[in-house]
Amino acid sequence: MAKMWTAPRVLAVAAVAALSVATVTPAKAADPVTITIWTFGDVIQRNFVQEYKLLHPEITLEIKKSDLDPLNGTNMVTACTAHNGPDIAAVEVSYSGYWRSYPSCFQDLRQMKTSSANANASSVVPASSNIAANLSATSIKKDYLPWRWAQGVGYNDSVIGLPTDVGGLEVAYRTDLFKKAGLPTDRAKVGKLWPTWDKFIAVGKQYLGKLSAKDKKAGKGFIDNSGTIYAAMLNQGTSKYYLNDGTDTGKLIYDKNPAVKKAWDTTVTALQAGIGTRIGQFSSDWNTGMSNGTFATILAPAWMMDYIKAQAPDTKGKWDIADMPGGGGNQGGTQLTIPAAAKHKQEAWDFMAWYLAPAQQLRMFKTYGLFPSTPSLYTDPSLVGFKDPFFNNAPVGKIYASGIVKLKPIFEGKLERAIDTAFGAGLSRVAAKKMTSAKSWAQVMADLKKVVSN
Amino acid sequence: MSAQTPTSPWRSKAPKPKKVKGVTGIASLNGKWGYLFTAPFFVMFLIFGLAPIVYSTYIAFFHWDPLGDQTFNGLENFTNLLQDDHFWNALRNTLNIWALSTFPQMAMSIGLAAVLRNKKLKFKTFWRTILLVPNITSVIAVAIVFGQLFGRDFGLINLFLSYLGMPHHIDFIEETIPGHIAIATMITWRWVGYNALIFLASMLAIPEDLYESASLDGASAWQQFIYVTLPQLKNTITFVLIVGTIGGLQVFAEPLTLGGTMDGGSTRQFSTLTLYLYEQAFINNKWGYAAAVGILITFIVLIVSGINFMITRRLASEEQ
Repeated sequence: MAKMWTAPRVLAVAAVAALSVATVTPAKAADPVTITIWTFGDVIQRNFVQEYKLLHPEITLEIKKSDLDPLNGTNMVTACTAHNGPDIAAVEVSYSGYWRSYPSCFQDLRQMKTSSANANASSVVPASSNIAANLSATSIKKDYLPWRWAQGVGYNDSVIGLPTDVGGLEVAYRTDLFKKAGLPTDRAKVGKLWPTWDKFIAVGKQYLGKLSAKDKKAGKGFIDNSGTIYAAMLNQGTSKYYLNDGTDTGKLIYDKNPAVKKAWDTTVTALQAGIGTRIGQFSSDWNTGMSNGTFATILAPAWMMDYIKAQAPDTKGKWDIADMPGGGGNQGGTQLTIPAAAKHKQEAWDFMAWYLAPAQQLRMFKTYGLFPSTPSLYTDPSLVGFKDPFFNNAPVGKIYASGIVKLKPIFEGKLERAIDTAFGAGLSRVAAKKMTSAKSWAQVMADLKKVVSN
Repeated sequence: MSAQTPTSPWRSKAPKPKKVKGVTGIASLNGKWGYLFTAPFFVMFLIFGLAPIVYSTYIAFFHWDPLGDQTFNGLENFTNLLQDDHFWNALRNTLNIWALSTFPQMAMSIGLAAVLRNKKLKFKTFWRTILLVPNITSVIAVAIVFGQLFGRDFGLINLFLSYLGMPHHIDFIEETIPGHIAIATMITWRWVGYNALIFLASMLAIPEDLYESASLDGASAWQQFIYVTLPQLKNTITFVLIVGTIGGLQVFAEPLTLGGTMDGGSTRQFSTLTLYLYEQAFINNKWGYAAAVGILITFIVLIVSGINFMITRRLASEEQ
């Protein structure tokens, strides 16, 4: 980029000198630039894309969406191998461990400096915040949650990604169905029903006992999918499949970590108690079940609130949010990266620094329920006091914030996604009653041996 | 024409006989110019066909992490593969889905073609066009629709089955055989019309007098179909079978989209050969191992095609 700016200037100076004619050079209109963004889901929100167009008419944000695995697993590998690809790529947290081990595929964001492009953004779009010039990743690091930040730090300590939202995880529950089952409906009381996961399962059994025979036959249950308990529990701990032993790669402990076994065993207990409906999340059955009241609870990350609103608009006011068993939780979250081969790094960095700045994240939370990764907002009255009418006016900002601050950083390694998939498949086998828990666990271990070997 | 050697109009100054003038241009295409016009195919084949074959054969002998280490390991990928129960599972699934989709599909295609052949049928072109619509529909769209049809709790098919007295809902995604049936249904739906058109073309080529003499001999419509139509279709059936086999051994999009996972589900019930290749390459980033899977698929296709070829030869010699 620097070259593109200097070349015309040198020419202009030379021309002026040669002709010795004093001319007034007109203000240079910025060249049109297209920033390509590879992303998935709603990481890049459309309203903000339109807003950025107002700020920078010369910049076009070209959003290319794929599903997660093709995006992070296939397309980005190919792009890095071929030294090609977009200006910005979204890396989901389940792949962050993988990409941290290949920092050479990314631009080190410590070396980027914001231009003055957004220094006066609020004069064009009043709701937007201004972004000072000369900010590198090092200078904005303090704004973000440390453990979220660490997910975007490569093995050579280079910063490869900026955190977008935090998943957060709380229990979304249907007050009407709870009432019908004789359970309390007040969110504080509901949260007290299940200080631990064992209590949560007990409440689930109690709920099942109140269901009519007809509802039971129709496949109704307490939670949408008991399998989701596994990831929720695991993320409440301090380690998962890797031990942070100070090395870049970490040490594989998936087979020995008691936290993994405990999460597995508790999930199996929930599966065998039959408190879940076994509907896969994001399936068509799930979407239908959400409106039909097929299940009374979902372990819902903050970003899922928007999904529930869109899929089950008729259930407005019937939902509420209560604390998670075990306190707090996380699911999902993404880093925005600039691939090493990006063509418009400066413009990409200017956009990222603006898009993920606290003020923009706060607005994203209010509009789309994406929970900010910038802790300065967690005490901000407009977040803490934010109530969502869809969720029975629950103070969702306060609830999610209190859960998120309880989380501890977890080291995620290179094969995180593959290992997680194998455990997920293992639990599905138990859920479908195809294997006993012990047999399925053994199968997971055998499958993973293949994955972690060359 | 035979006396005249074809010459290029750009080179030859010799006077040309008027008779041949009209065809010189076309005739000259058989010479050097022919290579130019066929070049696009060969260039494409070199880039997208031959080069990947050579490259993947090469990396099949390596431990090949696309972004990391690439070390030669000889035949290790192949020996590991032969002991890999996931690979054999994928082969079983593939053959199972292939059998479940191919044979009912053949029967349905021939039946449809027989209906379309009916002289009294109105709007012939309309029906023939409609048969091709499933074939040009995007697989993803098909998978979404079939995913809903086969849904465990709210799917139409389960609803229908429960009216018929099925005591419990079938889980078409988790259970192996129902899952294979669901995938086979998708494949059949997509290809049955296409194959019906091929059978129809071949049926229309059957001489009418065969039917006339058959009906003079007192053969019913059904007997005519069994003793006249089917034997005449023998070659077409073999053709459709071979093409279907090559496609069937590479079934990929249907299990991926219907199952929704790249590992083929919790007991790998949807994992087909190509899906397994994809999983190794793009989930586990073992490109060398995936390339070895690809080579084995090639051999499997060769073997099955060889069997098909022998059957064809036997059928042909029986005819004589």
